[in-house]
Amino acid sequence: MRSLLIDTSSFFMHVAVLEDKNVLYHFKEEIKMDMASRIVPVIEEAFQNLSFKIEDIDKIFVVNGPGSFTGIRVGVTAAKMIAWALKKDIITLSSLEFLATTSVDKKYHIPAIDARRGYVYAGVYDSELNCILKDQYILYTELSSYFEEGTIISHDNLENSVRPKEDIVKIVEKHADDAPLNPHEVKPNYLKLTEAEEKKLAGAQ
Amino acid sequence: MNDVYILGIESSCDETSVSIVKNGCEEIATVVLSQIDTHANYGGVVPEIASRMHVENITIVVEECLSRAQMTMDEITAIAVTYGPGLIGSLLIGVVAASTLAYIFHKPLVPVHHIAGHIYANNLEKKMEFPLIALVVSGGHTDLIYMKDNYCFSKIGGTLDDAVGEAYDKVARVASIPYPGGPLVDKLSYEGVDAYPLPLPLDDDSYNFSFSGLKSAVINLVHNEEQRGNTVNKADLACSFQSRVVEILTKKTMRALKEYDVKNLIVAGGVAANSGIRNRLKELCQEQSVNLTVPSLKYCTDNAAMIATAGYFAYNLGRRAGYDLKALATTKLN
Repeated sequence: MRSLLIDTSSFFMHVAVLEDKNVLYHFKEEIKMDMASRIVPVIEEAFQNLSFKIEDIDKIFVVNGPGSFTGIRVGVTAAKMIAWALKKDIITLSSLEFLATTSVDKKYHIPAIDARRGYVYAGVYDSELNCILKDQYILYTELSSYFEEGTIISHDNLENSVRPKEDIVKIVEKHADDAPLNPHEVKPNYLKLTEAEEKKLAGAQ
Repeated sequence: MNDVYILGIESSCDETSVSIVKNGCEEIATVVLSQIDTHANYGGVVPEIASRMHVENITIVVEECLSRAQMTMDEITAIAVTYGPGLIGSLLIGVVAASTLAYIFHKPLVPVHHIAGHIYANNLEKKMEFPLIALVVSGGHTDLIYMKDNYCFSKIGGTLDDAVGEAYDKVARVASIPYPGGPLVDKLSYEGVDAYPLPLPLDDDSYNFSFSGLKSAVINLVHNEEQRGNTVNKADLACSFQSRVVEILTKKTMRALKEYDVKNLIVAGGVAANSGIRNRLKELCQEQSVNLTVPSLKYCTDNAAMIATAGYFAYNLGRRAGYDLKALATTKLN
């Protein structure tokens, strides 16, 4: 099975190509600006050094959030367009579960993304990627019961956090048999309403 | 010569649109997915909601357009996309979608300026003849542009503050006319008379416009009437406001035609749908034997047919973008 993985949910862009358990290409780079203008060139470059073309992949894995709203949309738009155009299976992945593939010594893997004002997008996983606490928008302090036996994994400067070192094979293997989605139905998982919607809801209550 | 089929993508604001146009003049199919009903709940376009809706709809709109055209991507010559100006988050979706399609199907990618699109919408009505003057009126623009030939844009005047469409929306809000204000003010203006003494804005020798003064005059008028315990006659206010807008726009446009010795006038942009502007220009152009083109209503609002049309001329001029095409919130027409 040949897979293409795309993650633009943080300021690190991931584009990877796998053949079964072999990572043939992995681009991981910090992209501060213009994620949108880099995504297609990076995908193109990935296939320039491979013995097969993008048409020959079987599955597309795309990280659809949570994370940077604009960032997620870039990867999701490119991935669903490729899946639609080439009629390929597409599977969405959680950005937090992807971070949780980082190997740590403690029992709990606590992937977290800074969402400002004391909030984070976070979940809790074990080393087999079993979900202990589902991905959510939560006050950072509310995660404290997991801190003693867990390690916070984050790109952001959260206290006591370690830098992510994602395991592409692990995440792809875990989700290889997920039911593929119709590309039209693939959308970002923001885990948060827009401010306008929140205000409207608050006003209605 | 082979026929050129351009697939255009437009997502600069709150419409997700894809269109296929043949040879820059014949619309094969256009799909416009408008978000107006959603944004109406918020009294205006919410950029983050617009971006969210674009990403959900983009592949559906592309597929629907090809299906209506009964065409496959193989038959498409090139892909044209609006790269700016507009809401950055919205633009990004169209640009990434277009770059991806261009890469996957090995098609040239043609960058199109949103205003070039509005201008070239006229070519879907009637072959544009040069030289011409283009009056661009929308929510973000009020420009007079002289075009010597295809894609030669020289701006001779523009708004110094609010765009005309913006002024319409603000006046509507002050007068408690619901969103979208522009079309409703236009409609209401026929039910009233020009009873309120509003100023004619920036009535000078330049080709520039200024609508903030007129807008302030409306706001003051409404507040003063309210303080006196009077109710403002909305229809009369709409009529008075629209009369001033139409007068200043048409006055400067007609002077530009004369001074530049041009016999072709085109009107472009969302506010080109305004019946007051359309009707007055028709009268004036007839009087002065000017060849006037106004896009049909469906081409006035944002749509991808205009992008595919402008894209055809840009394609013929050899304009191409790489897959690293950047979306730009603001960018000069060139």
